[in-house]
Amino acid sequence: MTATLTFGPPGAATGRATFTALAIRETRRFVLNPVFLFAVAFIVFALWAGPDAGVTDIDTANPYPAIFLGGFGMMATYWLTRSMRASEPVVGVTPVTRPARTAALCVVALVPFACGCLALLRFVQLIPVSSPLYGPFSPSARVAVLVGQIVMPALGGPLLGVALGRWVRFPGAAFVLFLVLYGWVSLVTILSFSHADSAPVAVLRLFAPFAFFTYTGDTGGVTAFRGSPWFFIGWQLALCAIAVLVALLRGAEGTVRSRIIRGLAIAGVAAVILLALAASGGFTHAVTA
Amino acid sequence: MVGPVLRAGAWQAVAGVSGVAVVVGGCGAAFPAAATVLFPVCFALLAGAAAFTLDEPASLVVDVTPTGPVRRTQIRAVALLAPLAAGVLVMLAAAVRGLALPWAAVGLALAGNVLLGFAVACVVRTRTGEPGATVGTAVVLVVMAPALVPQIARWVRTFPAPDSGGPSSDTVWWTVLAVCVVAIVVSVGGRNLPPWMSAVPVSRRRRSYPTVQPP
Repeated sequence: MTATLTFGPPGAATGRATFTALAIRETRRFVLNPVFLFAVAFIVFALWAGPDAGVTDIDTANPYPAIFLGGFGMMATYWLTRSMRASEPVVGVTPVTRPARTAALCVVALVPFACGCLALLRFVQLIPVSSPLYGPFSPSARVAVLVGQIVMPALGGPLLGVALGRWVRFPGAAFVLFLVLYGWVSLVTILSFSHADSAPVAVLRLFAPFAFFTYTGDTGGVTAFRGSPWFFIGWQLALCAIAVLVALLRGAEGTVRSRIIRGLAIAGVAAVILLALAASGGFTHAVTA
Repeated sequence: MVGPVLRAGAWQAVAGVSGVAVVVGGCGAAFPAAATVLFPVCFALLAGAAAFTLDEPASLVVDVTPTGPVRRTQIRAVALLAPLAAGVLVMLAAAVRGLALPWAAVGLALAGNVLLGFAVACVVRTRTGEPGATVGTAVVLVVMAPALVPQIARWVRTFPAPDSGGPSSDTVWWTVLAVCVVAIVVSVGGRNLPPWMSAVPVSRRRRSYPTVQPP
Protein backbone atom coordinates (compact mmCIF):
# COMPACT_ATOMS: atom_id res chain seq x y z
CA MET A 1 0.00 0.00 0.00
CA THR A 2 1.36 3.38 -0.95
CA ALA A 3 0.37 6.76 0.33
CA THR A 4 0.73 9.81 -1.85
CA LEU A 5 1.29 13.14 -0.19
CA THR A 6 0.50 16.21 -2.23
CA PHE A 7 1.74 19.62 -1.24
CA GLY A 8 -0.71 21.74 -3.17
CA PRO A 9 -1.68 25.29 -2.31
CA PRO A 10 -4.01 25.76 0.64
CA GLY A 11 -7.77 25.97 -0.02
CA ALA A 12 -7.97 29.70 0.40
CA ALA A 13 -5.26 30.32 -2.16
CA THR A 14 -6.96 27.96 -4.62
CA GLY A 15 -10.27 29.73 -4.10
CA ARG A 16 -8.61 33.10 -4.66
CA ALA A 17 -6.97 31.89 -7.86
CA THR A 18 -10.29 30.51 -9.14
CA PHE A 19 -12.06 33.74 -8.26
CA THR A 20 -9.40 35.82 -10.03
CA ALA A 21 -9.66 33.66 -13.13
CA LEU A 22 -13.45 33.96 -13.09
CA ALA A 23 -13.31 37.72 -12.59
CA ILE A 24 -10.86 38.15 -15.48
CA ARG A 25 -13.05 36.02 -17.72
CA GLU A 26 -16.22 37.93 -16.86
CA THR A 27 -14.43 41.25 -17.27
CA ARG A 28 -13.26 40.22 -20.72
CA ARG A 29 -16.82 39.28 -21.68
CA PHE A 30 -18.14 42.60 -20.35
CA VAL A 31 -15.53 44.71 -22.13
CA LEU A 32 -16.44 43.03 -25.43
CA ASN A 33 -20.19 43.54 -24.93
CA PRO A 34 -21.48 45.70 -27.83
CA VAL A 35 -23.80 47.71 -25.58
CA PHE A 36 -20.91 48.67 -23.31
CA LEU A 37 -18.62 49.38 -26.27
CA PHE A 38 -21.28 51.69 -27.75
CA ALA A 39 -21.65 53.47 -24.40
CA VAL A 40 -17.90 54.02 -24.09
CA ALA A 41 -17.66 55.20 -27.70
CA PHE A 42 -20.43 57.72 -27.13
CA ILE A 43 -18.89 59.02 -23.90
CA VAL A 44 -15.50 59.39 -25.60
CA PHE A 45 -17.13 61.33 -28.44
CA ALA A 46 -19.20 63.53 -26.11
CA LEU A 47 -16.22 64.38 -23.92
CA TRP A 48 -13.95 64.90 -26.91
CA ALA A 49 -16.48 67.28 -28.52
CA GLY A 50 -17.02 69.09 -25.23
CA PRO A 51 -20.18 70.80 -23.98
CA ASP A 52 -22.32 73.04 -26.20
CA ALA A 53 -21.55 76.73 -26.28
CA GLY A 54 -24.96 77.52 -24.77
CA VAL A 55 -24.49 75.50 -21.57
CA THR A 56 -25.97 77.45 -18.65
CA ASP A 57 -25.19 75.05 -15.79
CA ILE A 58 -23.30 71.78 -15.38
CA ASP A 59 -26.43 69.67 -15.13
CA THR A 60 -27.18 70.20 -18.81
CA ALA A 61 -23.75 68.77 -19.69
CA ASN A 62 -22.97 65.96 -17.27
CA PRO A 63 -25.77 63.33 -17.28
CA TYR A 64 -24.22 61.36 -20.18
CA PRO A 65 -21.89 59.18 -18.06
CA ALA A 66 -24.83 58.29 -15.79
CA ILE A 67 -27.02 57.38 -18.77
CA PHE A 68 -24.42 55.55 -20.83
CA LEU A 69 -21.93 54.08 -18.33
CA GLY A 70 -24.59 53.57 -15.64
CA GLY A 71 -27.76 52.81 -17.61
CA PHE A 72 -26.23 51.00 -20.56
CA GLY A 73 -23.74 49.34 -18.19
CA MET A 74 -26.70 48.02 -16.21
CA MET A 75 -28.19 46.47 -19.35
CA ALA A 76 -24.83 44.95 -20.30
CA THR A 77 -24.24 43.33 -16.89
CA TYR A 78 -27.87 42.16 -16.79
CA TRP A 79 -27.36 40.27 -20.05
CA LEU A 80 -23.97 39.06 -18.88
CA THR A 81 -25.56 37.61 -15.75
CA ARG A 82 -28.52 36.11 -17.60
CA SER A 83 -26.34 34.59 -20.31
CA MET A 84 -25.25 31.83 -17.89
CA ARG A 85 -28.83 30.97 -16.92
CA ALA A 86 -29.24 28.33 -19.64
CA SER A 87 -26.06 26.54 -18.58
CA GLU A 88 -26.88 26.68 -14.87
CA PRO A 89 -27.51 22.90 -14.59
CA VAL A 90 -23.94 22.30 -15.75
CA VAL A 91 -22.26 25.25 -14.04
CA GLY A 92 -24.16 24.54 -10.85
CA VAL A 93 -22.28 21.29 -10.19
CA THR A 94 -18.82 22.84 -10.44
CA PRO A 95 -16.86 23.38 -7.19
CA VAL A 96 -17.35 27.16 -7.46
CA THR A 97 -20.42 28.35 -5.57
CA ARG A 98 -22.98 30.68 -7.08
CA PRO A 99 -22.13 33.56 -4.70
CA ALA A 100 -18.48 33.27 -5.81
CA ARG A 101 -19.58 33.48 -9.45
CA THR A 102 -21.79 36.45 -8.59
CA ALA A 103 -18.88 38.17 -6.84
CA ALA A 104 -16.77 37.66 -9.96
CA LEU A 105 -19.55 39.29 -11.98
CA CYS A 106 -19.64 42.23 -9.57
CA VAL A 107 -15.92 42.80 -10.16
CA VAL A 108 -16.65 43.82 -13.78
CA ALA A 109 -18.25 47.02 -12.43
CA LEU A 110 -14.71 48.26 -11.83
CA VAL A 111 -14.35 48.78 -15.59
CA PRO A 112 -17.18 51.34 -15.98
CA PHE A 113 -16.10 52.79 -12.61
CA ALA A 114 -12.63 53.43 -14.05
CA CYS A 115 -14.23 54.89 -17.19
CA GLY A 116 -16.30 57.15 -14.93
CA CYS A 117 -13.16 58.35 -13.14
CA LEU A 118 -11.56 59.21 -16.49
CA ALA A 119 -14.76 60.96 -17.60
CA LEU A 120 -14.68 63.00 -14.38
CA LEU A 121 -11.10 64.12 -15.02
CA ARG A 122 -11.96 65.13 -18.59
CA PHE A 123 -15.10 66.95 -17.42
CA VAL A 124 -13.10 68.95 -14.87
CA GLN A 125 -10.65 69.78 -17.63
CA LEU A 126 -13.50 71.03 -19.85
CA ILE A 127 -15.37 72.89 -17.10
CA PRO A 128 -12.98 73.75 -14.22
CA VAL A 129 -14.34 73.56 -10.68
CA SER A 130 -13.92 77.33 -10.39
CA SER A 131 -16.47 77.92 -13.18
CA PRO A 132 -19.69 79.79 -12.28
CA LEU A 133 -21.63 77.02 -14.05
CA TYR A 134 -21.48 75.03 -10.78
CA GLY A 135 -23.65 77.58 -8.96
CA PRO A 136 -23.25 78.62 -5.32
CA PHE A 137 -21.64 75.38 -4.09
CA SER A 138 -18.27 75.42 -2.33
CA PRO A 139 -15.30 73.96 -4.26
CA SER A 140 -15.42 70.69 -2.27
CA ALA A 141 -19.19 70.38 -2.77
CA ARG A 142 -18.70 70.94 -6.51
CA VAL A 143 -16.35 67.96 -6.62
CA ALA A 144 -18.89 65.94 -4.63
CA VAL A 145 -21.62 66.87 -7.12
CA LEU A 146 -19.46 65.65 -10.01
CA VAL A 147 -18.47 62.42 -8.25
CA GLY A 148 -22.13 61.72 -7.43
CA GLN A 149 -23.27 62.42 -10.98
CA ILE A 150 -20.44 60.90 -13.04
CA VAL A 151 -18.47 58.30 -11.07
CA MET A 152 -21.03 56.72 -8.72
CA PRO A 153 -23.71 55.92 -11.33
CA ALA A 154 -20.99 54.28 -13.45
CA LEU A 155 -20.30 51.94 -10.51
CA GLY A 156 -23.85 51.44 -9.27
CA GLY A 157 -25.59 50.82 -12.61
CA PRO A 158 -23.61 47.68 -13.50
CA LEU A 159 -23.95 46.35 -9.94
CA LEU A 160 -27.71 46.85 -10.16
CA GLY A 161 -27.68 44.93 -13.45
CA VAL A 162 -25.99 41.95 -11.76
CA ALA A 163 -28.54 41.94 -8.92
CA LEU A 164 -31.39 42.21 -11.40
CA GLY A 165 -30.01 39.40 -13.54
CA ARG A 166 -29.69 37.11 -10.51
CA TRP A 167 -33.24 37.63 -9.27
CA VAL A 168 -35.52 38.60 -12.17
CA ARG A 169 -36.46 36.12 -14.86
CA PHE A 170 -38.17 38.57 -17.23
CA PRO A 171 -35.71 39.17 -20.10
CA GLY A 172 -36.81 42.78 -20.68
CA ALA A 173 -36.35 43.83 -17.04
CA ALA A 174 -33.22 45.90 -17.74
CA PHE A 175 -34.76 48.27 -20.26
CA VAL A 176 -37.94 48.58 -18.20
CA LEU A 177 -35.93 49.51 -15.09
CA PHE A 178 -33.78 51.90 -17.12
CA LEU A 179 -36.89 53.74 -18.38
CA VAL A 180 -38.56 53.73 -14.96
CA LEU A 181 -35.44 55.25 -13.33
CA TYR A 182 -35.14 57.80 -16.16
CA GLY A 183 -38.81 58.72 -15.73
CA TRP A 184 -38.52 58.94 -11.94
CA VAL A 185 -35.44 61.20 -12.00
CA SER A 186 -37.11 63.42 -14.62
CA LEU A 187 -40.37 63.63 -12.66
CA VAL A 188 -38.82 64.53 -9.30
CA THR A 189 -36.45 67.03 -10.93
CA ILE A 190 -39.34 68.79 -12.68
CA LEU A 191 -41.27 68.80 -9.39
CA SER A 192 -38.24 70.41 -7.74
CA PHE A 193 -38.37 73.33 -10.19
CA SER A 194 -41.72 74.44 -8.78
CA HIS A 195 -41.12 73.28 -5.18
CA ALA A 196 -37.45 74.11 -4.78
CA ASP A 197 -37.70 74.83 -1.02
CA SER A 198 -39.88 71.84 -0.12
CA ALA A 199 -38.21 69.25 2.15
CA PRO A 200 -40.41 66.29 1.03
CA VAL A 201 -39.71 67.09 -2.63
CA ALA A 202 -35.98 67.24 -1.79
CA VAL A 203 -36.21 63.77 -0.23
CA LEU A 204 -38.01 62.48 -3.33
CA ARG A 205 -35.38 64.05 -5.60
CA LEU A 206 -32.55 62.41 -3.67
CA PHE A 207 -34.40 59.07 -3.41
CA ALA A 208 -32.80 57.96 -6.67
CA PRO A 209 -29.46 56.61 -7.82
CA PHE A 210 -28.84 59.90 -9.66
CA ALA A 211 -29.90 63.44 -8.80
CA PHE A 212 -29.52 66.89 -10.28
CA PHE A 213 -28.25 69.61 -7.96
CA THR A 214 -28.53 72.78 -10.06
CA TYR A 215 -30.79 74.41 -12.61
CA THR A 216 -31.02 77.68 -14.48
CA GLY A 217 -34.27 79.49 -13.74
CA ASP A 218 -35.96 82.36 -15.55
CA THR A 219 -34.22 84.86 -13.29
CA GLY A 220 -30.80 83.98 -14.71
CA GLY A 221 -27.97 82.68 -12.59
CA VAL A 222 -27.53 79.11 -11.43
CA THR A 223 -29.81 77.89 -8.62
CA ALA A 224 -28.65 75.12 -6.28
CA PHE A 225 -31.29 72.73 -4.91
CA ARG A 226 -31.49 71.71 -1.26
CA GLY A 227 -29.37 68.79 -0.11
CA SER A 228 -25.84 67.73 0.66
CA PRO A 229 -23.82 66.33 -2.27
CA TRP A 230 -21.39 64.60 0.12
CA PHE A 231 -24.07 62.66 1.98
CA PHE A 232 -25.66 61.86 -1.37
CA ILE A 233 -22.45 60.03 -2.31
CA GLY A 234 -22.81 58.07 0.94
CA TRP A 235 -26.39 57.17 -0.03
CA GLN A 236 -25.17 56.02 -3.45
CA LEU A 237 -22.44 53.89 -1.86
CA ALA A 238 -25.06 52.30 0.40
CA LEU A 239 -27.18 51.52 -2.68
CA CYS A 240 -24.13 49.90 -4.32
CA ALA A 241 -23.57 47.77 -1.20
CA ILE A 242 -27.23 46.74 -1.19
CA ALA A 243 -27.05 45.79 -4.88
CA VAL A 244 -23.97 43.60 -4.28
CA LEU A 245 -25.48 41.93 -1.21
CA VAL A 246 -28.82 41.29 -2.94
CA ALA A 247 -26.94 39.72 -5.87
CA LEU A 248 -24.82 37.57 -3.54
CA LEU A 249 -27.89 36.41 -1.62
CA ARG A 250 -29.05 34.33 -4.59
CA GLY A 251 -27.80 30.82 -4.03
CA ALA A 252 -26.09 31.58 -0.70
CA GLU A 253 -26.54 28.97 2.01
CA GLY A 254 -25.80 28.44 5.66
CA THR A 255 -23.63 30.96 7.50
CA VAL A 256 -22.86 32.90 4.33
CA ARG A 257 -26.57 33.54 3.82
CA SER A 258 -27.11 34.72 7.38
CA ARG A 259 -24.06 36.99 7.10
CA ILE A 260 -25.39 38.51 3.88
CA ILE A 261 -28.81 39.10 5.40
CA ARG A 262 -27.16 40.79 8.41
CA GLY A 263 -25.08 42.91 6.03
CA LEU A 264 -28.23 43.85 4.10
CA ALA A 265 -29.93 45.03 7.27
CA ILE A 266 -26.91 47.18 8.19
CA ALA A 267 -26.64 48.60 4.65
CA GLY A 268 -30.39 49.34 4.63
CA VAL A 269 -30.23 51.26 7.89
CA ALA A 270 -27.13 53.12 6.69
CA ALA A 271 -28.91 54.01 3.44
CA VAL A 272 -31.92 55.46 5.28
CA ILE A 273 -29.68 57.52 7.60
CA LEU A 274 -27.56 58.79 4.72
CA LEU A 275 -30.65 59.72 2.69
CA ALA A 276 -32.00 61.68 5.66
CA LEU A 277 -28.64 63.42 6.09
CA ALA A 278 -28.43 64.16 2.34
CA ALA A 279 -31.89 65.73 2.35
CA SER A 280 -31.37 67.73 5.55
CA GLY A 281 -27.74 68.74 4.94
CA GLY A 282 -26.27 71.29 2.55
CA PHE A 283 -28.40 74.29 1.67
CA THR A 284 -31.65 74.36 3.63
CA HIS A 285 -33.36 76.21 0.77
CA ALA A 286 -32.71 76.85 -2.91
CA VAL A 287 -29.89 79.37 -3.39
CA THR A 288 -29.23 81.31 -6.59
CA ALA A 289 -25.78 82.61 -7.47
CA MET B 1 -56.28 27.23 -33.73
CA VAL B 2 -56.68 30.83 -32.59
CA GLY B 3 -57.01 29.86 -28.95
CA PRO B 4 -53.78 27.81 -28.63
CA VAL B 5 -51.73 30.37 -30.56
CA LEU B 6 -53.02 33.17 -28.37
CA ARG B 7 -52.55 31.15 -25.18
CA ALA B 8 -48.91 30.53 -26.06
CA GLY B 9 -48.20 34.26 -26.32
CA ALA B 10 -46.00 36.09 -23.82
CA TRP B 11 -49.01 37.74 -22.23
CA GLN B 12 -47.31 38.29 -18.88
CA ALA B 13 -44.54 40.28 -20.54
CA VAL B 14 -46.90 42.28 -22.78
CA ALA B 15 -49.36 43.03 -19.99
CA GLY B 16 -46.63 43.69 -17.41
CA VAL B 17 -44.68 46.18 -19.52
CA SER B 18 -47.95 47.82 -20.64
CA GLY B 19 -48.94 48.13 -16.99
CA VAL B 20 -45.66 49.84 -16.12
CA ALA B 21 -46.27 52.16 -19.09
CA VAL B 22 -49.71 53.05 -17.74
CA VAL B 23 -48.18 53.94 -14.36
CA VAL B 24 -45.50 56.12 -16.00
CA GLY B 25 -48.06 57.75 -18.32
CA GLY B 26 -50.44 58.21 -15.41
CA CYS B 27 -47.74 60.16 -13.58
CA GLY B 28 -47.42 62.30 -16.72
CA ALA B 29 -51.16 62.97 -16.66
CA ALA B 30 -51.10 63.69 -12.93
CA PHE B 31 -48.16 66.10 -13.19
CA PRO B 32 -48.71 68.09 -16.42
CA ALA B 33 -45.31 69.79 -16.13
CA ALA B 34 -43.64 66.42 -16.61
CA ALA B 35 -46.01 65.14 -19.30
CA THR B 36 -43.72 65.85 -22.25
CA VAL B 37 -40.95 63.87 -20.55
CA LEU B 38 -43.01 60.97 -19.19
CA PHE B 39 -45.25 60.39 -22.23
CA PRO B 40 -42.29 59.52 -24.49
CA VAL B 41 -41.08 57.11 -21.77
CA CYS B 42 -44.58 55.61 -21.62
CA PHE B 43 -44.75 55.21 -25.41
CA ALA B 44 -41.25 53.69 -25.50
CA LEU B 45 -42.38 51.13 -22.93
CA LEU B 46 -45.41 50.34 -25.10
CA ALA B 47 -43.07 49.82 -28.07
CA GLY B 48 -41.10 47.43 -25.87
CA ALA B 49 -44.32 45.62 -24.91
CA ALA B 50 -45.25 45.25 -28.59
CA ALA B 51 -41.89 43.62 -29.23
CA PHE B 52 -42.86 40.69 -26.97
CA THR B 53 -46.05 39.81 -28.84
CA LEU B 54 -44.30 37.38 -31.20
CA ASP B 55 -42.20 35.54 -28.59
CA GLU B 56 -42.52 31.81 -29.09
CA PRO B 57 -40.44 29.61 -26.74
CA ALA B 58 -41.47 26.51 -28.69
CA SER B 59 -40.56 28.00 -32.06
CA LEU B 60 -38.58 24.93 -33.15
CA VAL B 61 -41.80 22.96 -33.07
CA VAL B 62 -44.30 25.68 -33.94
CA ASP B 63 -42.41 26.88 -37.02
CA VAL B 64 -42.87 23.56 -38.78
CA THR B 65 -46.58 23.14 -38.08
CA PRO B 66 -49.09 23.64 -40.89
CA THR B 67 -50.11 27.02 -39.50
CA GLY B 68 -48.01 29.43 -41.53
CA PRO B 69 -46.27 32.60 -40.32
CA VAL B 70 -48.93 34.84 -41.88
CA ARG B 71 -51.73 33.24 -39.90
CA ARG B 72 -49.68 33.04 -36.71
CA THR B 73 -48.64 36.68 -36.98
CA GLN B 74 -52.24 37.72 -37.65
CA ILE B 75 -53.39 35.93 -34.52
CA ARG B 76 -50.54 37.23 -32.38
CA ALA B 77 -51.21 40.78 -33.62
CA VAL B 78 -54.32 40.69 -31.45
CA ALA B 79 -51.96 41.11 -28.48
CA LEU B 80 -51.11 44.59 -29.80
CA LEU B 81 -54.47 45.67 -28.46
CA ALA B 82 -52.97 45.61 -24.96
CA PRO B 83 -50.28 48.29 -25.51
CA LEU B 84 -52.61 50.29 -27.77
CA ALA B 85 -55.36 50.25 -25.14
CA ALA B 86 -52.87 51.25 -22.46
CA GLY B 87 -51.72 54.20 -24.58
CA VAL B 88 -55.28 55.32 -25.31
CA LEU B 89 -56.06 55.06 -21.58
CA VAL B 90 -53.13 57.34 -20.75
CA MET B 91 -54.18 59.82 -23.46
CA LEU B 92 -57.74 59.85 -22.14
CA ALA B 93 -56.49 60.47 -18.60
CA ALA B 94 -54.35 63.33 -19.84
CA ALA B 95 -57.26 64.82 -21.83
CA VAL B 96 -59.53 64.60 -18.79
CA ARG B 97 -56.86 66.42 -16.77
CA GLY B 98 -56.95 69.18 -19.40
CA LEU B 99 -53.49 68.76 -20.88
CA ALA B 100 -53.04 70.82 -24.05
CA LEU B 101 -51.28 68.41 -26.40
CA PRO B 102 -51.68 67.98 -30.18
CA TRP B 103 -53.77 64.84 -29.77
CA ALA B 104 -53.73 63.73 -33.42
CA ALA B 105 -49.93 63.84 -33.47
CA VAL B 106 -49.76 62.11 -30.07
CA GLY B 107 -52.05 59.35 -31.36
CA LEU B 108 -49.85 58.96 -34.43
CA ALA B 109 -46.78 58.71 -32.18
CA LEU B 110 -48.51 56.01 -30.11
CA ALA B 111 -49.41 53.98 -33.20
CA GLY B 112 -45.93 54.47 -34.62
CA ASN B 113 -44.21 53.32 -31.42
CA VAL B 114 -46.33 50.18 -31.11
CA LEU B 115 -46.04 49.31 -34.80
CA LEU B 116 -42.27 49.89 -34.74
CA GLY B 117 -41.82 47.40 -31.89
CA PHE B 118 -44.03 44.87 -33.66
CA ALA B 119 -42.39 45.32 -37.09
CA VAL B 120 -38.85 44.90 -35.78
CA ALA B 121 -40.02 41.84 -33.83
CA CYS B 122 -41.49 40.42 -37.08
CA VAL B 123 -38.17 40.85 -38.85
CA VAL B 124 -36.08 39.38 -36.01
CA ARG B 125 -38.61 36.55 -35.52
CA THR B 126 -37.30 35.06 -38.77
CA ARG B 127 -33.97 34.52 -36.98
CA THR B 128 -34.99 33.63 -33.44
CA GLY B 129 -38.02 32.32 -31.60
CA GLU B 130 -37.95 34.92 -28.81
CA PRO B 131 -37.06 38.33 -30.23
CA GLY B 132 -38.80 40.31 -27.44
CA ALA B 133 -35.94 41.20 -25.11
CA THR B 134 -33.42 42.15 -27.78
CA VAL B 135 -35.89 44.00 -29.99
CA GLY B 136 -37.53 45.71 -27.03
CA THR B 137 -34.21 47.04 -25.79
CA ALA B 138 -33.09 48.17 -29.24
CA VAL B 139 -36.39 49.87 -30.07
CA VAL B 140 -36.55 51.58 -26.69
CA LEU B 141 -33.04 52.98 -27.09
CA VAL B 142 -33.77 54.20 -30.62
CA VAL B 143 -37.08 55.80 -29.66
CA MET B 144 -35.57 57.40 -26.55
CA ALA B 145 -32.45 58.65 -28.34
CA PRO B 146 -33.75 62.24 -28.80
CA ALA B 147 -34.56 62.42 -25.08
CA LEU B 148 -31.28 60.87 -23.94
CA VAL B 149 -29.09 62.92 -26.29
CA PRO B 150 -30.52 66.40 -26.84
CA GLN B 151 -28.28 66.95 -29.88
CA ILE B 152 -30.29 64.30 -31.75
CA ALA B 153 -33.52 66.17 -30.98
CA ARG B 154 -32.33 68.99 -33.22
CA TRP B 155 -32.86 66.75 -36.24
CA VAL B 156 -35.35 64.11 -35.13
CA ARG B 157 -38.19 64.23 -32.64
CA THR B 158 -40.27 61.26 -31.59
CA PHE B 159 -42.85 63.06 -29.47
CA PRO B 160 -44.91 66.09 -30.51
CA ALA B 161 -44.18 68.50 -27.67
CA PRO B 162 -46.18 71.71 -28.09
CA ASP B 163 -44.40 75.05 -28.63
CA SER B 164 -40.96 73.49 -28.80
CA GLY B 165 -40.15 74.31 -32.42
CA GLY B 166 -37.80 72.08 -34.38
CA PRO B 167 -38.77 69.30 -36.75
CA SER B 168 -42.23 67.74 -36.60
CA SER B 169 -42.59 64.25 -35.22
CA ASP B 170 -45.39 63.53 -37.70
CA THR B 171 -42.94 63.23 -40.59
CA VAL B 172 -40.90 60.71 -38.62
CA TRP B 173 -43.88 58.58 -37.65
CA TRP B 174 -45.57 58.56 -41.08
CA THR B 175 -42.25 57.39 -42.54
CA VAL B 176 -41.85 54.79 -39.79
CA LEU B 177 -45.40 53.53 -40.33
CA ALA B 178 -44.82 53.08 -44.06
CA VAL B 179 -41.50 51.29 -43.55
CA CYS B 180 -43.00 49.10 -40.81
CA VAL B 181 -45.88 47.95 -43.01
CA VAL B 182 -43.43 46.96 -45.75
CA ALA B 183 -41.13 45.23 -43.23
CA ILE B 184 -44.02 43.24 -41.75
CA VAL B 185 -45.31 42.16 -45.15
CA VAL B 186 -41.86 41.14 -46.37
CA SER B 187 -40.78 39.35 -43.18
CA VAL B 188 -44.05 37.47 -42.68
CA GLY B 189 -44.14 36.53 -46.34
CA GLY B 190 -40.59 35.31 -45.88
CA ARG B 191 -39.76 35.76 -49.54
CA ASN B 192 -37.50 38.67 -50.16
CA LEU B 193 -35.46 38.57 -47.00
CA PRO B 194 -31.77 38.70 -47.75
CA PRO B 195 -30.03 35.42 -46.88
CA TRP B 196 -28.15 36.93 -43.93
CA MET B 197 -31.41 37.98 -42.33
CA SER B 198 -32.84 34.52 -41.95
CA ALA B 199 -31.20 31.70 -40.05
CA VAL B 200 -34.26 29.51 -40.41
CA PRO B 201 -33.94 26.95 -43.21
CA VAL B 202 -36.23 27.58 -46.14
CA SER B 203 -37.87 24.21 -45.63
CA ARG B 204 -39.00 25.32 -42.16
CA ARG B 205 -40.39 28.58 -43.45
CA ARG B 206 -42.94 27.04 -45.79
CA ARG B 207 -46.20 28.79 -45.36
CA SER B 208 -48.47 25.86 -45.99
CA TYR B 209 -48.22 22.12 -45.94
CA PRO B 210 -50.37 19.67 -47.87
CA THR B 211 -53.08 18.53 -45.57
CA VAL B 212 -54.48 15.04 -45.55
CA GLN B 213 -58.21 15.01 -45.87
CA PRO B 214 -60.03 12.35 -43.87
CA PRO B 215 -61.78 9.80 -46.03
